[in-house]
Amino acid sequence: MAENNDIKKLDGKIQSMKKTAEELKLMGEDFPALNRNISRILASIKMLELNISDLTAV
Amino acid sequence: MISEQRFWNPVLETLDHEKIRKLQFEKFKKIFVWAYERSRFHRGLYEKAGIKPADIQSFEDIRRIPTVEKSMMRGIQRKDPFPYGDALCVPLEEVSEFRQTSGTTGQPVYQADTWQDWEWWAECWAYILWAQGYRPNDRVFIPFGYNVFVAFWAGHYAAEKIGAEVVPGGVLDTQARILKIQELKCTAMMATPTYVLGMADAAKSMGIDPRSLGISKITCAGEPGASIPSTKKRMEEAWNAKVYDHAGATEIGAWCFECKTQSGGLHINEAFFLVEIQDIDTGEYIVEPGRRGKIIITALDRQAQPCIRFDSKDIAEWSPGKCPCGRTFRLINGGVVGRADDITKVKGVLLAPSAIEEVVRSIDGLSDEFEVIVDKAGDIDLITLKVEILKNREGERKQIEAKLKDQLRLKTNLGYNIEFHDYRSLTRYEVKAKRFKDLRKK
Repeated sequence: MAENNDIKKLDGKIQSMKKTAEELKLMGEDFPALNRNISRILASIKMLELNISDLTAV
Repeated sequence: MISEQRFWNPVLETLDHEKIRKLQFEKFKKIFVWAYERSRFHRGLYEKAGIKPADIQSFEDIRRIPTVEKSMMRGIQRKDPFPYGDALCVPLEEVSEFRQTSGTTGQPVYQADTWQDWEWWAECWAYILWAQGYRPNDRVFIPFGYNVFVAFWAGHYAAEKIGAEVVPGGVLDTQARILKIQELKCTAMMATPTYVLGMADAAKSMGIDPRSLGISKITCAGEPGASIPSTKKRMEEAWNAKVYDHAGATEIGAWCFECKTQSGGLHINEAFFLVEIQDIDTGEYIVEPGRRGKIIITALDRQAQPCIRFDSKDIAEWSPGKCPCGRTFRLINGGVVGRADDITKVKGVLLAPSAIEEVVRSIDGLSDEFEVIVDKAGDIDLITLKVEILKNREGERKQIEAKLKDQLRLKTNLGYNIEFHDYRSLTRYEVKAKRFKDLRKK
């Protein structure tokens, strides 16, 4: 079972991944293969937030 | 080993209930603001009721928020942004999925989803499949017509997500599907209860014992059958498989599920949905077990076309106990037991079609199929129940009829005109069955 500290650590990694993905998306505005694949990755990252990051608020 | 892990999300699924409530409240506020700021439909509804996001300070405040009914969604659709209308919260170019409701209760409702929403749909289903014992080594056969109805689409994506192998049964006919299951040694399947029984029947007609096919688990949706004990028993015996129920809807998502423990209830995924149960007559909110009401539901994370306090018309009651599986997600007792708009008064008595199904399927000697017709003779309501007697049981017709009438009287408090029909002469359904016909509403 993940403890509170583990959740925070996991959330930190997720936020870092999200930041990288968002930066890549900005760089891919004229690059469909980059832009659209990053959009999908961001949707998957959102699922990590629903499963893990949201727990940091409770 | 990941496959040995009991929970898809070991933290959320075992979270202390106070924390779950806190999570639900925080998420509710977010989705409310999201819809208030982006959907003209939702903003108009809330402004009319005099409610702003800042007014939501407690669960009591949530109950003051107007509910949304399917008829309201029908009213705003086919308008700009076409075809979804004013409830759409994202630019049209962000919509990646179209689905529509089956239209069982009227004109179908269109549902828009972004790719994130679609990931969310699959995530909801991943909770279901993992809880029912699906694992990466499963080969899952999905025998439905992949089309505009959501049906098992998200089940397909979730099976992929958890790492299982998916065999799409799409346009194959029933015989071809059975042969494919046999050829590929599939281990699991998803279908409506009607079709699960229909496939077993078809396999037997082909000379194949469905019990020999190796399907060890079946996930049902679309009808309440997998939570009706006699129907569940018939399915499990026919396939020698565990049969699990789940409930979901196009406008809502997959919001509750039976786990491997089969404790007689369905877990609500309370991390993703807020479920309230409301007394149909008084409007009072029911918090205690054992009292039936209709479900008002909020999908806490769905964005393109939000589902906020949707009046699902599904009838359920809280379960008194906890599930031995260890999940803290609350249970609804016996699943969704009916729909508010299916329950009708006959001879002054409230009749739920699922109660008739429970009786018919519990009688040995009758086939799985039946039909109920309610009509009027003058001012008197008449109920005709058409059943099929199995070929080798013709000699027991009188005893079967007497048992059927007794059980129906006991379970529904009504008398029936019983019609016996030849085996396989009643209509067979492949998806959602329409076995209840109320001709008084002509």
